[in-house]
Amino acid sequence: MKIIKVILENMNKASQKNKALMIFKPVLNAMDEFFFGTDKVTSLPHIVDNMDIKRLMSLVIIALMPVTIASVYFWGLRVFLVIMVSYAFGGLIEVCFAVFRKKEIHEGFLVTGLIFPLILPPGVPLWVVAIGVMFGVIFGKEAFGGTGRNIFNPAIVGRVFLTIAFPNIMTMNWQMPFNKGLGGFIHFQNSVDAITTATPLALFKNQGIITSYSNLMLGQSAGCIGETFRVGIIAGGLFLIAMRIVDWRLPLAYLATVVIFPYLGNHLIHTQFALGGFQLLSGGLLLGAFFMATDPVTSPFTKPGRWIAGFLLGFLTVLIRGLSGYMEGVMFSILLVNAFTPLIDTMVLKARYKKK
Amino acid sequence: MLKPARTFRGGYRFKNFNGQARPVIVENQIPALVTIPLKQGFGAELKSLVKKGDAVFAGQTIARDDSVVSSPIHSSVNGVVEDVKRMNYFKRQTAMVIIRTTNASKEIPRLERCSLEWARLSNEKIEELVYLSGVSSLDREGIPTRFKSSIIPPEEVKHLIVHGIGSEPYNISLDLLLKEKNLLNFLEGVKILKRIMPNSKVHLSLNSKKRNIIEQVTKLTSQLEWLDTYPLEPKYPQGYDEILVPTILNQNFPYGYSAANIGVVILNIQAVLGVYEAVCEGKPFIERIIAICGPSIKDNIHIKVRVGTSLKDILAERVKTESPIRVALNSLLTGFQLNDISLPVDRTFSHIIAIPEKREREFLSFMRLGKTRDSYTRAFLAEMLPWVKRAPDTNKHGEERPCISCGFCERACPVKIIPHLLAKYVQRNLIDETIMNYGIFNCIECGLCSYVCPSKISLMKIIKEGQDKLIMQGCDSTQCILPYFNLKGIKEYRGVTKL
Repeated sequence: MKIIKVILENMNKASQKNKALMIFKPVLNAMDEFFFGTDKVTSLPHIVDNMDIKRLMSLVIIALMPVTIASVYFWGLRVFLVIMVSYAFGGLIEVCFAVFRKKEIHEGFLVTGLIFPLILPPGVPLWVVAIGVMFGVIFGKEAFGGTGRNIFNPAIVGRVFLTIAFPNIMTMNWQMPFNKGLGGFIHFQNSVDAITTATPLALFKNQGIITSYSNLMLGQSAGCIGETFRVGIIAGGLFLIAMRIVDWRLPLAYLATVVIFPYLGNHLIHTQFALGGFQLLSGGLLLGAFFMATDPVTSPFTKPGRWIAGFLLGFLTVLIRGLSGYMEGVMFSILLVNAFTPLIDTMVLKARYKKK
Repeated sequence: MLKPARTFRGGYRFKNFNGQARPVIVENQIPALVTIPLKQGFGAELKSLVKKGDAVFAGQTIARDDSVVSSPIHSSVNGVVEDVKRMNYFKRQTAMVIIRTTNASKEIPRLERCSLEWARLSNEKIEELVYLSGVSSLDREGIPTRFKSSIIPPEEVKHLIVHGIGSEPYNISLDLLLKEKNLLNFLEGVKILKRIMPNSKVHLSLNSKKRNIIEQVTKLTSQLEWLDTYPLEPKYPQGYDEILVPTILNQNFPYGYSAANIGVVILNIQAVLGVYEAVCEGKPFIERIIAICGPSIKDNIHIKVRVGTSLKDILAERVKTESPIRVALNSLLTGFQLNDISLPVDRTFSHIIAIPEKREREFLSFMRLGKTRDSYTRAFLAEMLPWVKRAPDTNKHGEERPCISCGFCERACPVKIIPHLLAKYVQRNLIDETIMNYGIFNCIECGLCSYVCPSKISLMKIIKEGQDKLIMQGCDSTQCILPYFNLKGIKEYRGVTKL
């Protein structure tokens, strides 16, 4: 603790002496705040809640921990490298904008930087990760004015960009996970690129094969880095709901629609629409529903709005999965519904505060 | 009759704060010098009837004016008037009578013709006793009597709500106020009030966690068909008039107006006990029970003090001096900060709360487990350890950040407005009818939105600012209320405690 204090003080002194280093003031301030908290006191009310944005974001990261650790097991130690690249390049952009705007660095990026690698395929080249996260942070967040003002989830923006820009890398590069012994904890990455396989959704679409539910739950299927260990995702999501950080309405509405709506579709075209249970456990649905659709900034803040958004998400996800050429129904539907969020909120407010 | 438990949507229950006042009462000694404000509680400021050099006795009326809405004010000690002057009292210039004690006897002369058998007294006499004792100035509407002590005449009162819920972080002890004989006195007081306000229905709302008190009250009042008892969850801000009326009467509240406008009078337990003491024992209301709460107090007890005692006399011996503290009056969420320790106590004081003023920084504060930290979210260990007391302090516990629309403020808001939305409109200077339509004037300034905000935005302050700007633009707050209510046409009046 003292060491950090001394280091920070020295750095502060250095930056005061050298004008060129002054631009890094936001970084120093952010570090100072990170380690030592605040000395500001309240006015009225005299006491305030102990919760702050730092803790809120750290809790989301804690909720993502089971998935992250499991993903290292499934895909090898390279996952760490992917996460580090994502943090490094995303953080760089964040710092640049903070320096440029002369504002503090906000904590929101801590979550984006971890979620983004989790929604990439395990074999993704590192330069692609760097490009994706930079694009996501610039065009998904900073272009709109930074934390709290963005319309789209930055991680999703980055991912959509990569899917469209590098379709080969993003949709072909699937591997089967480790499943024996210490698995990925002692391997750098899955031995050969030769073991390419298809994701459960693609298997269903192309060959009508339905992967068993227990394999899907425990991560024994191909898929993105963080989306396959579904037990961990559910546990993390429920943890956030129990902590009251995430509202339960949107994930419930989303998942319920995805389970119920395909039964209708299945009746009409059963080769296109898989049954609800399979839809629920395949692809990035659970990760998207618990961690990305619920992002408070980009989801509706009104309660009826959350129900509506959840329903829309479910509807769009099933439609895109069933009828389009893309497997990434969750990703596209979250992006589309994010665009609708302000409209949904406005409509709900209009209905609620109708002139009597 | 005992009604089923009730509550309201939103709100937050402050649990288990460290430094709750024990149910023990200590009488403070008679101070050497008292400063008595000539405006206490509900009513206009009065002119002094005494002048410099006059000898006064405890309980002597030193100010009274039957022509304006007010209640008499008494000297609280035997002594000589040292000065009558205007002083700054809670941001308001108020006339004060300063009295030096000459005889520290604890005797208080009784009011004339008080009687334990109050049933034999005429209505007029009872009302006179209530008025003369000064108790009629308590709470936001005062107690209506024929002497203009409130804004409505007693016969127009349709509902009388008596509340003892204790939903604040620190509360005066219900067990103490309603201990043994006091409970009977309290119920007598309720009966007296019913006699004064014959057309009213009495609603007694009590903390639903205090089972034994509710049981006793139910047993003692089962015969009274005009009285209902409601156990209410002690969720902040249940004790506010604006929340009590909808929960108990299922009726909309005319926000910004006094409850008296819809024929409702709301009193707390100390006021009812004061009524009993005035009518049956003839005591002028010159003593007040104050809970001394908070972790920065050496011994958390209740004290009985004379009105006009300076805070210095109360606090000097009682606060911990090792570290800086902050003293708040009545409520940690909305209460006035008591910087000037020479201020006197008046009739409206009920809690004095001292908490540490914490400016020290804390290493990796956001990563702490939080055994003693209170939070609206369940993200601290305290949530799982209900027996550990939570320690409040004045630190902000985090930096101010942009709003992320997490919705905590909306979930906590007891009057169903959306604080973060209103704040965004106000901060962008979009001040027009829209925010009025979104209910900006419904805000009751309970401070809960500012409390729960993880981005540490002072929502309450911003909303208040928005209201002021809106009024400056000529928007009339009354137009949200007047078309929908049949009001008696009297503008809201707030006592000094609610500045």
